[in-house]
Amino acid sequence: MRITTTVNGQQRVVDDVWEGESLLYVLRERMGLPGSKNACEQGECGSCTVYLDGVTACACLVAGGQAEGREVVTVEALADADGLHPVQEAFLECGAVQCGFCTPGLLVQTHDLLARTGRPSDPEIREALAGNLCRCTGYEKILDAVRLASERMASR
Amino acid sequence: MDFLQPSTMAEALAAKAEHPGAVPIAGGTDVMVEMNFDKHRPPALLDVTRVSELTEWGMDDGRVRLGAGVSYTRIIDELGDRLPGLAMASRTVGSPQIRNRGTVGGNLGAASPAGDAHPALLAADAEIELQSTAGTRVVKAHEFYLGVKRNAARRDELITAIVLTPPSGPQQFCKIGTRNAMVISVAAFGLALHPDRRVVRTGIGSVAPTPRRAYAAEEFLAAELESAGLWESRAELPTALAREFGEKVKAAGAPIDDVRGTAAYRLHSLAVMARRAVTWAWTDYRTARGT
Amino acid sequence: MTAITTRAVGSSPTRIEGTAKVTGAARYSTEQDHLGDVAYLWPVPATIAKGRVEAVDSDAVAGLPGVLAVLTPDNAPRLETPDDAELAVLQDHEVSYRGQFVAAVVATSLETAREAAASLHITYAEVPHDSELTENHPKLSKPEKVNPAFPTDTEDGDVDAALAAAAVTVDATYRTPPVHNNPMEPHASLAVWLGHELTLYDSLQGAFAAQQALAKLFALPPASVHVINEHVGGGFGSKGTVRLGAVLAAMAAREVGRPVKVVLGRQHMFTVVGYRTPTIQRVRLGADADGQLTAIEHAAIEQTSTVLEFAEQTTVATRIMYAAGSRRTSHRLAALDVPTPRWMRAPGECPGMFALESAMDELAVATGVDPVEIRIRNEPDVEPESGKPFSSRNLVACLREGAERFGWAARDPRPGVRRDGRWLVGTGVAASTYPSYVGPSTASAAAEPGGGFVVRISAADIGTGARTVLTQIAADALRVRVEEVRVEIGDSSFGQAALAGGSMGTASWGWAVTRAGERLRAALDEHGGDGRLEVHVDTAEEVKARTGFAYHAFGAQYAEARVDLDTGEVRVPRLLGVFGVGRIVNPRTARSQLIGGMTMGLSMALHEEGVLDPAFGDYVNHDFAGYHVAAAADVADIDAVWVDEQDEHVNPLGVKGIGEIGIVGTAAAVANAVFHATGVRVRDLPIRLDKLLGGLPG
Repeated sequence: MRITTTVNGQQRVVDDVWEGESLLYVLRERMGLPGSKNACEQGECGSCTVYLDGVTACACLVAGGQAEGREVVTVEALADADGLHPVQEAFLECGAVQCGFCTPGLLVQTHDLLARTGRPSDPEIREALAGNLCRCTGYEKILDAVRLASERMASR
Repeated sequence: MDFLQPSTMAEALAAKAEHPGAVPIAGGTDVMVEMNFDKHRPPALLDVTRVSELTEWGMDDGRVRLGAGVSYTRIIDELGDRLPGLAMASRTVGSPQIRNRGTVGGNLGAASPAGDAHPALLAADAEIELQSTAGTRVVKAHEFYLGVKRNAARRDELITAIVLTPPSGPQQFCKIGTRNAMVISVAAFGLALHPDRRVVRTGIGSVAPTPRRAYAAEEFLAAELESAGLWESRAELPTALAREFGEKVKAAGAPIDDVRGTAAYRLHSLAVMARRAVTWAWTDYRTARGT
Repeated sequence: MTAITTRAVGSSPTRIEGTAKVTGAARYSTEQDHLGDVAYLWPVPATIAKGRVEAVDSDAVAGLPGVLAVLTPDNAPRLETPDDAELAVLQDHEVSYRGQFVAAVVATSLETAREAAASLHITYAEVPHDSELTENHPKLSKPEKVNPAFPTDTEDGDVDAALAAAAVTVDATYRTPPVHNNPMEPHASLAVWLGHELTLYDSLQGAFAAQQALAKLFALPPASVHVINEHVGGGFGSKGTVRLGAVLAAMAAREVGRPVKVVLGRQHMFTVVGYRTPTIQRVRLGADADGQLTAIEHAAIEQTSTVLEFAEQTTVATRIMYAAGSRRTSHRLAALDVPTPRWMRAPGECPGMFALESAMDELAVATGVDPVEIRIRNEPDVEPESGKPFSSRNLVACLREGAERFGWAARDPRPGVRRDGRWLVGTGVAASTYPSYVGPSTASAAAEPGGGFVVRISAADIGTGARTVLTQIAADALRVRVEEVRVEIGDSSFGQAALAGGSMGTASWGWAVTRAGERLRAALDEHGGDGRLEVHVDTAEEVKARTGFAYHAFGAQYAEARVDLDTGEVRVPRLLGVFGVGRIVNPRTARSQLIGGMTMGLSMALHEEGVLDPAFGDYVNHDFAGYHVAAAADVADIDAVWVDEQDEHVNPLGVKGIGEIGIVGTAAAVANAVFHATGVRVRDLPIRLDKLLGGLPG
C-alpha cells in the first residue's frame, strides 16, 4: 500500500508498504530515518518513541497505514538550525547518553514531558520515563539531564 | 492483508460486515505485537482511529458514553471526576506512550484477564455497546467476558462504546505488580460503592480465567452496611468488616501460578487490596457528605 | 605546538560521539545507507528441544515472490570447523536446544522473510530432552577448568575439621536464576561481499577477534575480512565474540550476491546469544565467636549446553575475598538440553558474590558482629590462595567510607523491627570485587598533515565511553589538548586489540594508546616539526611482563529496602556503592558505568529471571513484557563514589576496570537489607513478593 505522511515537516510518500508493517519499520527501512530504534517490538522499551500528531507513541505499535495523513516527528528533527534542543544539550552534558540505543526515545519522551510540565518533580520524571528502558546508565544521569533541561527551559 | 480505513461509523460497520475476520486496531498494543512477533497475521486490519464516534466521549441522558477508542490519557485528563475508578485504573496502564494510544475498547477486545480496565468497568456496572450493520446491542460488563481472551462480541460487531453512570459514591482501584511501573498486574481489584442503590460492586483481575465480580463479597458488605445502618450514619467501618470483606473477595479468585506470582500470592494480595480499597473508599464516603 | 601541563585524564569531557547519538545521526551496524539493495534474513528456530532435523520443505517457500534463498542444513555452505561450536550454524542436522537456528530465509523484504520463515515446514525426529538443573543431577561432572582458565576446584587447609571445631557455622544454599544480558540493541549484522573480500558491519564487542574468527570459518586470509563496529548499543558480554547472526549474514550475502542484514528479534535474545547460567551454590562458613573465619566452603552447581562447555567461574571470588584458616571451592557442571550459557556482566563474581556475601551476612547475624565489622575482621594481608600481595586493595576503606556516607553507625541490628507506616525498613551491606585484567593490544598514532593527531585502535565503545577516555589518554601521552586528538576505533583493520569485555578495555587499550602517544611524542621531539610521522606499538611483551601481584578492584555496596507489610512489595529507596578502582579517567562516564552496573544488580535482585519450562526446554518469558528489567521508576536515590587509589603495579595508567564491579554484590546488599527489614532471608533470586509472604511480622 502507499502511505503519504508528513515526517519532520516534510511530506513523504512511500510505496509497497506491507499492511501489517509498523511505522517504525517504515521510518527506519523505507524513509532512511534510523534514529528511532527497534529494541523490543512490543511497546515495552520506548526506544522507538516518536510524536504522532503531537502525542508520543511507540512507533512499533503504530501500523504504517495508521500514519496516513498524520504528522510524525522523530529524534532527527529535535535539533533545528540554531543547534541542539536544550533536552539534547542536557543529555550530552550530563552524560545521560551511553550506548545511545535508548537515547532517541528518551529524548522525544523528555521533550514531550517538558513541553507539558515545565518543572516536573523527580517522581513525575520517573513516571513519565517509566516506559523507556535503559540498560546502561541506571537512569541517574538521565534524571540529571531532565532536571537540567527543565531548569534551562524554564529560565528562558 | 487488507488495510481498511473507515472514516465514519457506517463505513466501519460495513467494513466489519464485509470482512468479519478483520481485526480492529486502535492503539496497536495487542494487535501490532502479535504481528511483530509473527504470532498472527489477520486477513485484514480495520483502523478505527479515524471514526469520531469511537474516539470521542459525551454525555447521554446523564450517563457517560465513552467511545471505545478514547485513549487512557484522555480518560485520565478529561474524565477523572466522572469516572474515577476507570481513571485510576487508566493511570496504571503501561507507560505514557501506551496510555496515549491504548484504549478501553482494545482492552475489551483482547479480554485478557490482566487488562487493567476490566475491574473498574465491572465495579462501575459498565455496559458495553456493540454495533453491527444489523443494529446496536448493549451487554453488561459482567456478561461480556466469556473465557480466556474471549468476549461477547460477534464477528460482525465492533465494540463501539462503554456506557457508564457517573458514580453516586466513591470508587477505588488497586493493582499489584512486580515492578514500580510499566507492569502487568499480578492481581488487580476495583471497587465502587453505590449509596444511591445501596449496593457494592467489585471487579477482580489476573486472578481467574476472566475478569469477574466477587458477588458474595458484594452482597455480604452491602448487607452488613445496611444492617448496621452505616449508609446513613457514615460511622467508621469496623476493621473486622473490612478484613472479612477482603477474605470474601479472595474467595472469588481462581488464579494460577505463573512467572509473575504464585496462585497463593495472588489470592493473598487480593484480600489485602480489597481490605485497603474498602477502607479508603469508606473514608471517602464519610468525608464526602452531601454526595 | 604548545606543551600541555593540565592532564586530560581525570577531567570529564563530554562523550565524543554524543552529538551523533542525540541527533539520531549515529549509524549503528546495520544502519548503513550506502549499500544499495539490501536483503533481509530471518532465522527459523527449532521447535523441539532435542533431536534431528529430518527434512526441510524449502521448495514450498523458495518460490514465493521476494524469497531469494532458503538456507537449511542440507544446502547451507560448508564452513571450516570453528573454535566456538555455536558458530557451526546449519552445518549439521542435530538439534541441541529449543530455539536453535535450523534454517533461515533470505528475502527482499523483512516481512517476506518472516512470513516465509514462519510457514517453512520442518520435520523433526524428536528424542526426550532434559533441561532442568537440579542439585543432584546425574549429569553433574567436574569441568577441566572454569572460565576463562581458572582451576575448577581448590582446597587449602582442613575445611571439615575447621567446620567441626567452629564456634559458629553457617550452612546455606543459594540459587540464582538464568539471567539474560538484553542489551537494548539486539545483535545486528550486515554483510557485504566484494569478490572474495567480506565486510561485516556488526554490533560486536571486538572487531579484531571477530575478523579472526570469520576468516577461519570462511577459510579466508584475515586481511580479506573487514569488521566494523563503530557504534554498539550495549553488550554486557553477549556480544563478546562473534555470534551466529554474523555467520548467517556472511553466508547468505555470498549466496544471494547482495548485502544481507540480520537483526535478531528480542525473543531470539533469550536463546541464541548466551545468558548467565542458573546456579545452585552451597556455602559453609566456620568462625570463632568473634566472627573470625576459620573455614570457607563454596560449591557451585551450574549448567551448560551440549553444544559446548561453558563453565561459569562462580566461586573464584571466594578464593580472594577473606582470610580464613581453611578454604575449599568447587564447580560442577551439567550439560543439559538448553541454550548455551555465556558471559554476562561479571560472570562468576556476580552470582558467586551473591552467595558469599549473603552468607557473610548470615554469619554476622549468627555471631552478633556488625556486618561491616565482620568483613573488616576477615580482611586478608595477601591474596589468600596465591599468597601474592595485592597490587592495591581498598575494601576496608570502601566499607568505612560507605558506612560513613550511608549513616550505618546508628543501625539497630535487629531484623523486622522498623516500620514506616505500612512499610518495613532495613539496610544491608555487601562487598564487591572484580579482577583487573589486561590484554595485549596494538595501536597506531600519527601526526596529521593539517595539524592534530590521529590514534587508531581496534577498540569498541559499547556505551562505556571508550572513545572519549582513549582520547583523553592519548592527549596526555602526546602532551596536547584533547581537541587536537582524534581517536578512531571500531575497525578490525586497526590491528589486534583486547575485547570490550572483562572490564579490561581502558586498561588494555589505554596502555597501547599511551605507548603510541609517547612514542610519537618522542619521535616528534626528536625530528621536530609537523612531518608525516606514524608509529605503531604492541603491548604484548609489556603485558606479559606484568606479574608478581594479585590484581583486583574492590568495593562496598549499601542498600536500603522497604517491604510492604501486607503485600511483600519491595522498594529500594537508597543504593550506595563505594569503589576502589584505581585512577578514574573520566569521572562523568565512570560514575554512570558504576551506577549502571549497580542498577543491573538491583534488577537482578528484584526482577530478572528467565523462567525455563522443563517440558519445553525453553525460556517462556522471552520478551520485555515477561522479563522485567529495572525501569526509571524502580530506582530512587542511587550513587556511586570512589576512594582515592594509587596503583603503580596494575598497569601504566593505574586504572582498574569499572564496567562490571558495579553489579557485583548489589543483589546481596539488597537481600541483606530485605532480611534486616523483614527477618525473611531470601536465598533464591529474584526476591519476588510471594517469597516474602508468610515470613512477614504481624
